[in-house]
Amino acid sequence: MPIHEKSLIRPENLVEHEELVIDGVDVSGHWSTFIEGRSVPDYNEDLQEEIAALGGGENIHRCWQCGSCTNACTVNAINPDFNPRFWIYLIRMGLEEELVRDREIIWQCVSCNKCTYACPRDVNPEGVMKATAHWLELKGYTETKPSMVFDEEFSHQVFETGKIEEAKVLQKFFKRTNQPLTQPWLIQLVSGLVKRFPVFYLMKLGFATVFHPRTRNWDRSRDAIKEYVDERNAEIHKALKLDAKGAD
Amino acid sequence: MSSKPVLVVGGGPAGLSAARALADAGQKVVLVDKEDRLGGAPILSGYAKLVPSHEWAKDAIGGMVSGVEGHDMVEVKTETRVDKFEGDPGNFVATLSDGSKVEASATILATGFTHFDSVNKPEWGFGTYPDVVTTTQVEQMLSSGAGVKCPSDGREPDRVAILLCVGSRDRQIGREWCSKICCTVSANLAMEIREQLPNCNVYIYYMDIRTFGLYEGEYYWASQEEHKVKYIKARIAEVTGDGKRLLVKGEDTLVKRPISIPFDMVVHAVGMDPNVDNMTLGAVFNVDLNKYGYIGKPSTYAHMSETSRPGVFVAGAATGPETIDDSIAQGKAAAMAALISANSTVREAAE
Repeated sequence: MPIHEKSLIRPENLVEHEELVIDGVDVSGHWSTFIEGRSVPDYNEDLQEEIAALGGGENIHRCWQCGSCTNACTVNAINPDFNPRFWIYLIRMGLEEELVRDREIIWQCVSCNKCTYACPRDVNPEGVMKATAHWLELKGYTETKPSMVFDEEFSHQVFETGKIEEAKVLQKFFKRTNQPLTQPWLIQLVSGLVKRFPVFYLMKLGFATVFHPRTRNWDRSRDAIKEYVDERNAEIHKALKLDAKGAD
Repeated sequence: MSSKPVLVVGGGPAGLSAARALADAGQKVVLVDKEDRLGGAPILSGYAKLVPSHEWAKDAIGGMVSGVEGHDMVEVKTETRVDKFEGDPGNFVATLSDGSKVEASATILATGFTHFDSVNKPEWGFGTYPDVVTTTQVEQMLSSGAGVKCPSDGREPDRVAILLCVGSRDRQIGREWCSKICCTVSANLAMEIREQLPNCNVYIYYMDIRTFGLYEGEYYWASQEEHKVKYIKARIAEVTGDGKRLLVKGEDTLVKRPISIPFDMVVHAVGMDPNVDNMTLGAVFNVDLNKYGYIGKPSTYAHMSETSRPGVFVAGAATGPETIDDSIAQGKAAAMAALISANSTVREAAE
Protein backbone atom coordinates (compact mmCIF):
# COMPACT_ATOMS: atom_id res chain seq x y z
CA MET A 1 0.00 0.00 0.00
CA PRO A 2 1.39 3.45 -0.79
CA ILE A 3 2.34 5.55 2.23
CA HIS A 4 0.98 9.05 1.96
CA GLU A 5 2.71 10.77 4.83
CA LYS A 6 6.27 9.60 4.35
CA SER A 7 7.57 12.83 5.83
CA LEU A 8 6.35 11.69 9.22
CA ILE A 9 8.33 8.46 9.08
CA ARG A 10 12.06 8.16 9.53
CA PRO A 11 13.48 7.15 6.13
CA GLU A 12 15.40 4.22 7.62
CA ASN A 13 12.12 2.79 8.90
CA LEU A 14 10.65 2.53 5.40
CA VAL A 15 11.58 -0.90 4.11
CA GLU A 16 10.95 -2.57 0.79
CA HIS A 17 11.79 -6.20 0.11
CA GLU A 18 12.88 -7.38 -3.29
CA GLU A 19 11.52 -10.83 -2.67
CA LEU A 20 9.49 -11.69 0.37
CA VAL A 21 6.65 -14.11 0.86
CA ILE A 22 4.81 -14.28 4.17
CA ASP A 23 2.31 -17.09 4.69
CA GLY A 24 2.12 -17.64 0.95
CA VAL A 25 1.42 -13.98 0.21
CA ASP A 26 3.90 -12.15 -1.98
CA VAL A 27 4.82 -8.90 -0.24
CA SER A 28 7.70 -7.83 -2.47
CA GLY A 29 8.35 -4.45 -3.98
CA HIS A 30 7.18 -0.88 -3.58
CA TRP A 31 3.50 -1.73 -3.23
CA SER A 32 4.28 -3.66 -0.08
CA THR A 33 6.43 -1.06 1.67
CA PHE A 34 6.86 -1.86 5.35
CA ILE A 35 7.16 0.60 8.21
CA GLU A 36 9.54 -0.66 10.85
CA GLY A 37 8.74 -0.05 14.52
CA ARG A 38 10.32 3.06 15.94
CA SER A 39 10.38 2.13 19.59
CA VAL A 40 13.61 2.21 21.56
CA PRO A 41 14.53 -1.44 22.07
CA ASP A 42 17.12 -1.20 24.85
CA TYR A 43 19.27 0.96 27.11
CA ASN A 44 23.06 1.26 27.00
CA GLU A 45 23.63 1.13 30.72
CA ASP A 46 27.22 2.35 30.49
CA LEU A 47 26.56 5.50 28.48
CA GLN A 48 26.41 7.94 31.40
CA GLU A 49 29.62 6.56 32.88
CA GLU A 50 31.35 6.78 29.51
CA ILE A 51 30.49 10.45 29.09
CA ALA A 52 31.39 11.12 32.73
CA ALA A 53 34.83 9.62 32.08
CA LEU A 54 35.56 12.29 29.46
CA GLY A 55 36.66 15.79 30.40
CA GLY A 56 33.65 18.05 31.06
CA GLY A 57 31.11 15.29 31.55
CA GLU A 58 31.86 14.56 35.21
CA ASN A 59 28.72 16.17 36.67
CA ILE A 60 26.15 14.84 34.21
CA HIS A 61 24.45 12.67 36.85
CA ARG A 62 23.27 15.78 38.69
CA CYS A 63 20.87 16.93 35.96
CA TRP A 64 17.22 17.26 36.94
CA GLN A 65 15.99 18.20 33.48
CA CYS A 66 14.92 21.78 34.23
CA GLY A 67 15.91 22.98 30.74
CA SER A 68 17.86 26.05 31.87
CA CYS A 69 20.74 25.08 29.58
CA THR A 70 18.54 24.83 26.50
CA ASN A 71 16.83 28.09 27.44
CA ALA A 72 20.13 29.89 27.76
CA CYS A 73 21.68 28.32 24.69
CA THR A 74 23.04 30.52 21.90
CA VAL A 75 22.87 27.80 19.27
CA ASN A 76 19.38 26.67 20.28
CA ALA A 77 18.09 30.17 19.47
CA ILE A 78 19.16 29.58 15.87
CA ASN A 79 18.62 25.84 15.58
CA PRO A 80 15.87 24.42 17.82
CA ASP A 81 17.25 20.92 17.21
CA PHE A 82 20.28 21.86 19.28
CA ASN A 83 18.97 20.86 22.71
CA PRO A 84 21.53 20.11 25.46
CA ARG A 85 18.81 19.18 28.00
CA PHE A 86 17.53 16.50 25.63
CA TRP A 87 20.96 15.00 25.00
CA ILE A 88 21.81 14.97 28.68
CA TYR A 89 18.62 13.00 29.25
CA LEU A 90 19.44 10.55 26.44
CA ILE A 91 22.91 10.01 27.90
CA ARG A 92 21.66 9.55 31.45
CA MET A 93 19.06 7.00 30.39
CA GLY A 94 21.36 5.23 27.93
CA LEU A 95 19.36 5.94 24.76
CA GLU A 96 22.46 5.67 22.58
CA GLU A 97 20.71 5.20 19.26
CA GLU A 98 18.74 8.41 19.74
CA LEU A 99 21.89 10.30 20.72
CA VAL A 100 23.85 9.12 17.70
CA ARG A 101 21.01 10.30 15.47
CA ASP A 102 22.05 13.89 16.38
CA ARG A 103 25.79 13.38 15.80
CA GLU A 104 25.99 16.14 13.22
CA ILE A 105 24.37 18.72 15.54
CA ILE A 106 26.01 18.05 18.90
CA TRP A 107 29.48 19.31 17.99
CA GLN A 108 28.06 22.67 16.87
CA CYS A 109 28.27 23.97 20.45
CA VAL A 110 30.04 27.35 20.40
CA SER A 111 31.21 27.09 24.03
CA CYS A 112 29.70 30.43 25.04
CA ASN A 113 29.12 28.91 28.49
CA LYS A 114 25.78 30.64 29.05
CA CYS A 115 24.43 27.24 30.10
CA THR A 116 27.27 26.83 32.56
CA TYR A 117 26.09 29.89 34.46
CA ALA A 118 22.36 29.11 34.08
CA CYS A 119 22.60 25.54 35.39
CA PRO A 120 21.26 25.30 38.97
CA ARG A 121 22.88 21.90 39.55
CA ASP A 122 26.35 22.74 38.29
CA VAL A 123 26.15 20.09 35.59
CA ASN A 124 28.42 22.09 33.25
CA PRO A 125 26.40 21.41 30.08
CA GLU A 126 29.05 23.01 27.91
CA GLY A 127 31.52 20.45 29.21
CA VAL A 128 29.01 17.69 28.55
CA MET A 129 28.67 18.86 24.94
CA LYS A 130 32.44 18.79 24.58
CA ALA A 131 32.63 15.34 26.15
CA THR A 132 29.80 14.08 23.95
CA ALA A 133 31.43 15.36 20.78
CA HIS A 134 34.65 13.68 21.91
CA TRP A 135 32.73 10.47 22.68
CA LEU A 136 31.12 10.47 19.21
CA GLU A 137 34.56 10.80 17.68
CA LEU A 138 36.18 8.12 19.84
CA LYS A 139 33.37 5.68 19.15
CA GLY A 140 33.76 6.33 15.44
CA TYR A 141 30.31 7.84 14.96
CA THR A 142 31.73 11.03 13.48
CA GLU A 143 34.47 11.06 10.86
CA THR A 144 37.77 12.75 11.64
CA LYS A 145 37.37 16.26 10.30
CA PRO A 146 40.32 18.28 8.91
CA SER A 147 40.11 20.63 11.90
CA MET A 148 40.68 17.66 14.22
CA VAL A 149 43.80 16.73 12.25
CA PHE A 150 45.00 20.29 12.59
CA ASP A 151 44.38 20.26 16.36
CA GLU A 152 46.21 16.97 16.67
CA GLU A 153 49.24 18.21 14.77
CA PHE A 154 49.23 21.46 16.71
CA SER A 155 49.12 19.86 20.15
CA HIS A 156 51.57 17.16 19.11
CA GLN A 157 54.13 19.84 18.31
CA VAL A 158 53.51 21.72 21.52
CA PHE A 159 53.92 18.55 23.57
CA GLU A 160 57.03 17.46 21.72
CA THR A 161 58.94 20.74 21.49
CA GLY A 162 57.25 23.20 23.82
CA LYS A 163 56.54 25.54 20.89
CA ILE A 164 54.91 25.58 17.49
CA GLU A 165 56.25 26.29 14.08
CA GLU A 166 53.46 27.47 11.82
CA ALA A 167 55.20 26.34 8.67
CA LYS A 168 55.68 22.84 10.03
CA VAL A 169 52.11 22.60 11.32
CA LEU A 170 50.72 23.67 7.97
CA GLN A 171 53.01 21.39 6.07
CA LYS A 172 52.02 18.33 8.08
CA PHE A 173 48.35 19.31 8.13
CA PHE A 174 48.18 19.58 4.34
CA LYS A 175 50.09 16.37 3.94
CA ARG A 176 47.84 14.38 6.26
CA THR A 177 44.66 15.77 4.73
CA ASN A 178 45.93 15.19 1.19
CA GLN A 179 45.89 18.85 0.22
CA PRO A 180 48.53 20.51 -1.96
CA LEU A 181 50.93 22.82 -0.15
CA THR A 182 50.58 25.28 -3.00
CA GLN A 183 47.41 26.90 -1.71
CA PRO A 184 46.81 30.27 -3.46
CA TRP A 185 46.38 32.10 -0.13
CA LEU A 186 49.56 30.57 1.22
CA ILE A 187 51.54 31.52 -1.87
CA GLN A 188 50.22 35.07 -1.54
CA LEU A 189 51.12 35.17 2.15
CA VAL A 190 54.65 33.94 1.63
CA SER A 191 55.36 36.18 -1.37
CA GLY A 192 53.95 39.12 0.59
CA LEU A 193 56.29 38.29 3.46
CA VAL A 194 59.31 38.05 1.18
CA LYS A 195 58.50 41.39 -0.45
CA ARG A 196 57.65 43.43 2.63
CA PHE A 197 59.31 41.88 5.67
CA PRO A 198 62.57 43.54 6.95
CA VAL A 199 65.61 41.57 5.80
CA PHE A 200 66.87 40.96 9.34
CA TYR A 201 63.63 39.21 10.35
CA LEU A 202 63.53 37.27 7.09
CA MET A 203 66.98 35.93 7.84
CA LYS A 204 65.96 35.01 11.35
CA LEU A 205 62.89 33.27 9.98
CA GLY A 206 64.93 31.38 7.43
CA PHE A 207 67.45 30.37 10.07
CA ALA A 208 64.67 29.07 12.33
CA THR A 209 63.11 27.10 9.48
CA VAL A 210 66.37 25.32 8.78
CA PHE A 211 67.75 24.81 12.30
CA HIS A 212 64.53 24.39 14.43
CA PRO A 213 65.52 26.15 17.66
CA ARG A 214 64.63 24.10 20.75
CA THR A 215 63.01 25.09 23.99
CA ARG A 216 65.60 24.85 26.74
CA ASN A 217 65.23 21.92 29.14
CA TRP A 218 61.98 20.80 27.51
CA ASP A 219 62.62 17.07 27.84
CA ARG A 220 61.43 16.74 31.42
CA SER A 221 58.31 18.79 30.71
CA ARG A 222 57.64 16.73 27.62
CA ASP A 223 57.93 13.49 29.55
CA ALA A 224 55.61 14.75 32.28
CA ILE A 225 53.00 15.88 29.73
CA LYS A 226 53.33 12.65 27.82
CA GLU A 227 52.88 10.61 30.98
CA TYR A 228 49.74 12.55 31.87
CA VAL A 229 48.28 12.34 28.36
CA ASP A 230 48.97 8.60 28.19
CA GLU A 231 47.42 8.07 31.60
CA ARG A 232 44.27 9.97 30.64
CA ASN A 233 44.03 8.17 27.32
CA ALA A 234 44.35 4.81 29.03
CA GLU A 235 41.58 5.78 31.47
CA ILE A 236 39.33 6.95 28.66
CA HIS A 237 39.97 3.86 26.56
CA LYS A 238 39.21 1.67 29.52
CA ALA A 239 36.00 3.58 30.35
CA LEU A 240 34.83 3.47 26.75
CA LYS A 241 36.00 -0.13 26.29
CA LEU A 242 38.01 0.79 23.22
CA ASP A 243 41.00 -1.23 22.07
CA ALA A 244 44.42 -0.05 23.22
CA LYS A 245 45.00 2.22 20.25
CA GLY A 246 41.83 4.10 19.30
CA ALA A 247 41.94 7.77 18.48
CA ASP A 248 44.14 10.28 20.23
CA MET B 1 -7.92 8.87 85.52
CA SER B 2 -10.86 6.83 84.27
CA SER B 3 -10.98 3.36 85.79
CA LYS B 4 -12.44 2.01 82.59
CA PRO B 5 -9.89 1.08 79.94
CA VAL B 6 -9.48 2.71 76.56
CA LEU B 7 -10.07 0.23 73.77
CA VAL B 8 -7.41 0.39 71.04
CA VAL B 9 -8.33 -1.45 67.84
CA GLY B 10 -5.34 -2.47 65.77
CA GLY B 11 -1.80 -3.24 66.86
CA GLY B 12 0.26 -1.58 64.14
CA PRO B 13 2.55 1.43 64.62
CA ALA B 14 -0.36 3.81 65.38
CA GLY B 15 -2.15 1.42 67.75
CA LEU B 16 1.07 0.43 69.55
CA SER B 17 2.03 4.07 69.98
CA ALA B 18 -1.45 4.98 71.31
CA ALA B 19 -1.53 2.00 73.69
CA ARG B 20 1.95 2.72 75.01
CA ALA B 21 1.24 6.42 75.53
CA LEU B 22 -2.00 5.74 77.41
CA ALA B 23 -0.41 3.03 79.53
CA ASP B 24 2.58 5.21 80.40
CA ALA B 25 0.13 7.93 81.48
CA GLY B 26 -1.47 5.44 83.87
CA GLN B 27 -4.51 4.67 81.78
CA LYS B 28 -5.63 1.05 81.43
CA VAL B 29 -5.74 -0.16 77.82
CA VAL B 30 -7.27 -3.12 76.02
CA LEU B 31 -5.52 -3.65 72.68
CA VAL B 32 -7.23 -5.95 70.17
CA ASP B 33 -5.87 -7.12 66.84
CA LYS B 34 -7.46 -9.47 64.33
CA GLU B 35 -4.10 -11.08 63.50
CA ASP B 36 -2.25 -13.60 65.65
CA ARG B 37 0.47 -11.11 66.58
CA LEU B 38 1.04 -7.41 67.00
CA GLY B 39 3.07 -5.15 64.76
CA GLY B 40 0.71 -4.43 61.88
CA ALA B 41 1.83 -4.13 58.26
CA PRO B 42 5.57 -3.67 58.93
CA ILE B 43 5.71 -6.98 60.82
CA LEU B 44 2.97 -8.97 59.07
CA SER B 45 4.17 -8.03 55.58
CA GLY B 46 7.83 -8.47 56.53
CA TYR B 47 9.15 -5.02 55.68
CA ALA B 48 12.93 -4.67 55.46
CA LYS B 49 14.73 -1.47 56.46
CA LEU B 50 12.44 1.43 57.26
CA VAL B 51 12.49 4.98 55.94
CA PRO B 52 14.02 7.22 57.22
CA SER B 53 15.87 5.48 60.06
CA HIS B 54 17.24 2.50 58.06
CA GLU B 55 16.37 0.32 61.08
CA TRP B 56 15.05 -3.14 60.33
CA ALA B 57 11.25 -3.21 60.77
CA LYS B 58 11.47 -6.23 63.06
CA ASP B 59 13.76 -4.26 65.38
CA ALA B 60 12.02 -0.90 65.25
CA ILE B 61 8.40 -2.08 65.39
CA GLY B 62 9.34 -5.22 67.33
CA GLY B 63 10.63 -2.94 70.07
CA MET B 64 7.30 -1.16 70.19
CA VAL B 65 5.49 -4.52 70.39
CA SER B 66 7.50 -5.77 73.34
CA GLY B 67 7.06 -2.41 75.08
CA VAL B 68 3.29 -2.84 74.89
CA GLU B 69 3.11 -6.59 75.51
CA GLY B 70 5.15 -6.34 78.69
CA HIS B 71 3.22 -3.37 80.05
CA ASP B 72 1.06 -4.10 83.11
CA MET B 73 -1.50 -1.47 82.10
CA VAL B 74 -2.14 -3.12 78.71
CA GLU B 75 -4.25 -6.18 78.07
CA VAL B 76 -3.49 -7.57 74.60
CA LYS B 77 -6.05 -9.68 72.76
CA THR B 78 -4.87 -11.07 69.43
CA GLU B 79 -7.03 -12.91 66.89
CA THR B 80 -9.88 -10.83 68.20
CA ARG B 81 -12.32 -8.50 66.44
CA VAL B 82 -14.90 -6.10 67.77
CA ASP B 83 -18.38 -7.37 66.87
CA LYS B 84 -20.51 -4.77 68.59
CA PHE B 85 -19.82 -1.34 69.98
CA GLU B 86 -22.53 0.48 71.92
CA GLY B 87 -22.94 3.28 74.44
CA ASP B 88 -21.79 6.84 74.92
CA PRO B 89 -18.47 8.53 75.66
CA GLY B 90 -17.27 7.31 79.05
CA ASN B 91 -19.62 4.33 78.97
CA PHE B 92 -18.98 2.27 75.88
CA VAL B 93 -19.51 -1.49 75.82
CA ALA B 94 -17.65 -3.46 73.19
CA THR B 95 -18.54 -7.07 72.47
CA LEU B 96 -15.52 -8.95 71.16
CA SER B 97 -15.43 -11.95 68.83
CA ASP B 98 -14.38 -14.25 71.71
CA GLY B 99 -17.68 -13.40 73.42
CA SER B 100 -16.18 -11.22 76.13
CA LYS B 101 -17.32 -7.69 76.80
CA VAL B 102 -15.12 -4.65 77.44
CA GLU B 103 -16.46 -1.58 79.20
CA ALA B 104 -14.45 1.27 77.72
CA SER B 105 -14.28 4.99 78.35
CA ALA B 106 -13.16 5.71 74.79
CA THR B 107 -11.78 3.89 71.78
CA ILE B 108 -9.06 4.49 69.22
CA LEU B 109 -9.33 3.00 65.75
CA ALA B 110 -5.86 2.26 64.46
CA THR B 111 -7.04 -0.17 61.86
CA GLY B 112 -4.60 0.75 59.13
CA PHE B 113 -4.77 0.00 55.43
CA THR B 114 -4.62 -2.89 52.96
CA HIS B 115 -1.93 -3.17 50.28
CA PHE B 116 -3.31 -2.63 46.79
CA ASP B 117 -3.78 -5.94 44.99
CA SER B 118 -1.84 -5.68 41.73
CA VAL B 119 -4.11 -8.21 40.05
CA ASN B 120 -6.42 -5.23 39.56
CA LYS B 121 -3.98 -3.84 36.97
CA PRO B 122 -3.71 -6.91 34.74
CA GLU B 123 -1.93 -5.02 31.93
CA TRP B 124 1.14 -4.77 34.14
CA GLY B 125 1.55 -8.52 34.29
CA PHE B 126 1.19 -9.30 38.00
CA GLY B 127 -0.28 -12.77 38.40
CA THR B 128 0.56 -13.61 34.78
CA TYR B 129 4.35 -13.50 34.94
CA PRO B 130 6.06 -14.80 38.08
CA ASP B 131 8.87 -12.23 37.78
CA VAL B 132 6.42 -9.37 38.18
CA VAL B 133 6.38 -8.76 41.92
CA THR B 134 5.32 -6.05 44.37
CA THR B 135 7.40 -3.81 46.61
CA THR B 136 6.10 -5.88 49.55
CA GLN B 137 7.59 -9.02 48.03
CA VAL B 138 10.94 -7.34 47.49
CA GLU B 139 10.85 -6.13 51.12
CA GLN B 140 10.35 -9.76 52.12
CA MET B 141 13.20 -10.94 49.90
CA LEU B 142 15.46 -8.49 51.71
CA SER B 143 14.15 -8.94 55.25
CA SER B 144 14.16 -12.76 55.07
CA GLY B 145 17.77 -12.77 53.90
CA ALA B 146 16.84 -14.79 50.81
CA GLY B 147 18.10 -11.98 48.59
CA VAL B 148 16.61 -10.42 45.49
CA LYS B 149 15.99 -13.20 42.99
CA CYS B 150 13.60 -13.76 40.11
CA PRO B 151 10.82 -16.01 41.42
CA SER B 152 10.61 -17.90 38.09
CA ASP B 153 14.02 -19.56 38.20
CA GLY B 154 15.85 -18.05 41.18
CA ARG B 155 18.39 -16.15 39.10
CA GLU B 156 19.70 -12.80 40.22
CA PRO B 157 18.22 -10.09 38.01
CA ASP B 158 20.53 -7.98 35.81
CA ARG B 159 17.92 -5.33 35.31
CA VAL B 160 14.98 -4.35 37.46
CA ALA B 161 12.13 -1.94 36.68
CA ILE B 162 10.12 -0.39 39.47
CA LEU B 163 6.74 0.94 38.34
CA LEU B 164 5.37 3.69 40.54
CA CYS B 165 1.73 4.57 41.21
CA VAL B 166 0.40 1.04 41.01
CA GLY B 167 -3.00 1.44 42.65
CA SER B 168 -2.46 5.12 43.30
CA ARG B 169 -3.50 8.22 41.37
CA ASP B 170 -5.51 6.02 39.04
CA ARG B 171 -9.09 7.13 38.37
CA GLN B 172 -9.67 4.22 36.06
CA ILE B 173 -9.72 1.86 39.02
CA GLY B 174 -11.06 4.32 41.58
CA ARG B 175 -7.81 5.06 43.37
CA GLU B 176 -7.67 8.82 43.22
CA TRP B 177 -5.20 9.32 46.04
CA CYS B 178 -1.44 9.50 46.18
CA SER B 179 -0.20 6.80 48.53
CA LYS B 180 2.51 9.17 49.65
CA ILE B 181 5.19 6.69 50.69
CA CYS B 182 5.79 4.56 47.56
CA CYS B 183 8.21 7.00 45.84
CA THR B 184 10.49 7.12 48.86
CA VAL B 185 10.11 3.41 49.59
CA SER B 186 10.94 2.59 45.97
CA ALA B 187 14.02 4.84 46.00
CA ASN B 188 15.09 3.10 49.21
CA LEU B 189 14.47 -0.37 47.74
CA ALA B 190 16.30 0.57 44.56
CA MET B 191 19.35 1.53 46.62
CA GLU B 192 19.15 -1.70 48.60
CA ILE B 193 18.93 -3.74 45.40
CA ARG B 194 21.94 -1.89 43.99
CA GLU B 195 23.86 -2.50 47.18
CA GLN B 196 23.06 -6.19 47.21
CA LEU B 197 23.50 -6.70 43.46
CA PRO B 198 26.04 -4.11 42.24
CA ASN B 199 25.78 -5.35 38.65
CA CYS B 200 22.02 -5.02 38.57
CA ASN B 201 20.67 -1.83 37.02
CA VAL B 202 17.50 -0.38 38.50
CA TYR B 203 15.10 1.84 36.59
CA ILE B 204 12.18 3.66 38.19
CA TYR B 205 9.27 4.55 35.91
CA TYR B 206 7.32 7.48 37.30
CA MET B 207 4.73 10.11 36.46
CA ASP B 208 5.82 12.45 39.26
CA ILE B 209 8.31 11.83 42.01
CA ARG B 210 7.06 12.69 45.48
CA THR B 211 9.94 11.96 47.82
CA PHE B 212 8.54 14.73 49.95
CA GLY B 213 10.23 16.84 52.61
CA LEU B 214 13.67 15.80 53.76
CA TYR B 215 13.60 12.61 51.68
CA GLU B 216 14.64 14.67 48.63
CA GLY B 217 18.34 14.53 49.41
CA GLU B 218 18.68 11.21 51.17
CA TYR B 219 16.51 9.21 48.81
CA TYR B 220 15.79 10.99 45.54
CA TRP B 221 19.28 12.35 44.90
CA ALA B 222 21.29 9.77 46.80
CA SER B 223 19.66 7.02 44.77
CA GLN B 224 20.71 8.76 41.56
CA GLU B 225 24.07 10.22 42.50
CA GLU B 226 25.51 7.49 44.70
CA HIS B 227 23.60 4.42 43.56
CA LYS B 228 23.08 5.27 39.88
CA VAL B 229 19.39 4.48 39.90
CA LYS B 230 17.74 5.78 36.73
CA TYR B 231 14.41 7.65 36.82
CA ILE B 232 12.38 7.58 33.62
CA LYS B 233 9.24 9.63 33.13
CA ALA B 234 6.94 7.13 31.52
CA ARG B 235 3.57 5.65 32.32
CA ILE B 236 3.93 2.02 31.36
CA ALA B 237 1.35 0.72 28.88
CA GLU B 238 1.89 -2.99 29.39
CA VAL B 239 4.26 -5.62 30.68
CA THR B 240 4.57 -8.74 28.55
CA GLY B 241 7.10 -11.53 28.27
CA ASP B 242 9.02 -13.22 25.48
CA GLY B 243 9.42 -16.46 27.36
CA LYS B 244 12.79 -15.46 28.80
CA ARG B 245 12.58 -11.88 29.95
CA LEU B 246 9.84 -9.37 30.60
CA LEU B 247 9.15 -6.63 28.09
CA VAL B 248 8.13 -3.25 29.44
CA LYS B 249 6.33 -1.06 26.93
CA GLY B 250 5.45 2.59 27.25
CA GLU B 251 6.47 6.03 26.13
CA ASP B 252 9.43 7.93 27.47
CA THR B 253 7.56 11.21 27.66
CA LEU B 254 10.62 13.43 28.11
CA VAL B 255 12.00 12.41 24.71
CA LYS B 256 8.68 11.49 23.09
CA ARG B 257 9.96 8.02 22.20
CA PRO B 258 8.05 4.77 22.50
CA ILE B 259 10.10 2.27 24.46
CA SER B 260 10.03 -1.49 24.62
CA ILE B 261 12.74 -2.56 27.04
CA PRO B 262 13.66 -6.03 28.32
CA PHE B 263 13.78 -6.58 32.08
CA ASP B 264 14.46 -9.50 34.39
CA MET B 265 12.17 -8.33 37.13
CA VAL B 266 9.36 -5.79 37.33
CA VAL B 267 8.37 -4.43 40.73
CA HIS B 268 4.99 -2.82 41.34
CA ALA B 269 5.18 -0.02 43.90
CA VAL B 270 1.79 -0.85 45.34
CA GLY B 271 -0.30 1.84 46.97
CA MET B 272 -2.33 1.88 50.15
CA ASP B 273 -5.98 0.92 49.82
CA PRO B 274 -8.49 1.56 52.58
CA ASN B 275 -8.58 -1.40 54.94
CA VAL B 276 -10.78 -4.07 53.34
CA ASP B 277 -12.68 -4.23 56.66
CA ASN B 278 -13.54 -0.51 56.67
CA MET B 279 -17.20 -1.05 55.69
CA THR B 280 -17.61 -3.43 58.64
CA LEU B 281 -15.66 -1.17 60.97
CA GLY B 282 -17.77 1.81 59.90
CA ALA B 283 -20.96 -0.11 60.65
CA VAL B 284 -19.78 -1.61 63.97
CA PHE B 285 -18.40 1.65 65.37
CA ASN B 286 -20.99 3.80 63.60
CA VAL B 287 -18.37 6.15 62.15
CA ASP B 288 -18.50 7.80 58.72
CA LEU B 289 -16.08 6.84 56.00
CA ASN B 290 -14.80 9.48 53.60
CA LYS B 291 -15.48 9.28 49.86
CA TYR B 292 -12.37 7.18 49.30
CA GLY B 293 -13.36 4.58 51.88
CA TYR B 294 -10.97 5.58 54.66
CA ILE B 295 -12.26 6.48 58.11
CA GLY B 296 -13.40 10.10 57.91
CA LYS B 297 -12.00 12.94 59.97
CA PRO B 298 -14.64 15.69 60.19
CA SER B 299 -12.22 18.32 61.45
CA THR B 300 -8.70 18.92 60.30
CA TYR B 301 -7.46 21.42 62.85
CA ALA B 302 -9.66 21.94 65.88
CA HIS B 303 -10.37 18.36 66.89
CA MET B 304 -7.37 16.20 66.25
CA SER B 305 -7.97 12.47 65.83
CA GLU B 306 -11.78 12.69 66.04
CA THR B 307 -14.21 10.67 63.97
CA SER B 308 -17.86 11.47 63.33
CA ARG B 309 -18.75 9.76 66.63
CA PRO B 310 -17.75 11.38 69.95
CA GLY B 311 -15.46 9.22 72.03
CA VAL B 312 -14.25 7.25 69.02
CA PHE B 313 -10.85 8.41 67.81
CA VAL B 314 -8.71 7.43 64.85
CA ALA B 315 -4.99 7.34 64.08
CA GLY B 316 -2.60 6.27 61.35
CA ALA B 317 -3.30 4.87 57.89
CA ALA B 318 -6.92 4.17 58.78
CA THR B 319 -7.57 7.77 57.72
CA GLY B 320 -5.60 7.67 54.49
CA PRO B 321 -2.11 6.82 53.25
CA GLU B 322 0.33 7.54 56.05
CA THR B 323 4.00 7.08 56.89
CA ILE B 324 5.07 4.97 59.84
CA ASP B 325 6.54 7.87 61.78
CA ASP B 326 3.44 10.01 61.24
CA SER B 327 1.24 7.06 62.25
CA ILE B 328 3.18 6.81 65.48
CA ALA B 329 2.75 10.54 66.07
CA GLN B 330 -0.96 10.29 65.34
CA GLY B 331 -1.24 7.34 67.72
CA LYS B 332 0.12 9.50 70.47
CA ALA B 333 -2.17 12.39 69.49
CA ALA B 334 -5.17 10.05 69.56
CA ALA B 335 -4.07 8.79 72.98
CA MET B 336 -4.10 12.37 74.22
CA ALA B 337 -7.53 12.99 72.72
CA ALA B 338 -8.90 9.77 74.26
CA LEU B 339 -7.41 10.65 77.62
CA ILE B 340 -9.02 14.08 77.57
CA SER B 341 -12.35 12.58 76.56
CA ALA B 342 -12.21 9.82 79.19
CA ASN B 343 -11.29 12.19 82.01
CA SER B 344 -13.72 14.95 81.10
CA THR B 345 -16.56 12.45 81.54
CA VAL B 346 -15.01 11.46 84.87
CA ARG B 347 -14.92 15.13 85.90
CA GLU B 348 -18.50 15.71 84.77
CA ALA B 349 -19.64 12.71 86.84
CA ALA B 350 -17.78 14.04 89.89
CA GLU B 351 -19.44 17.46 89.73
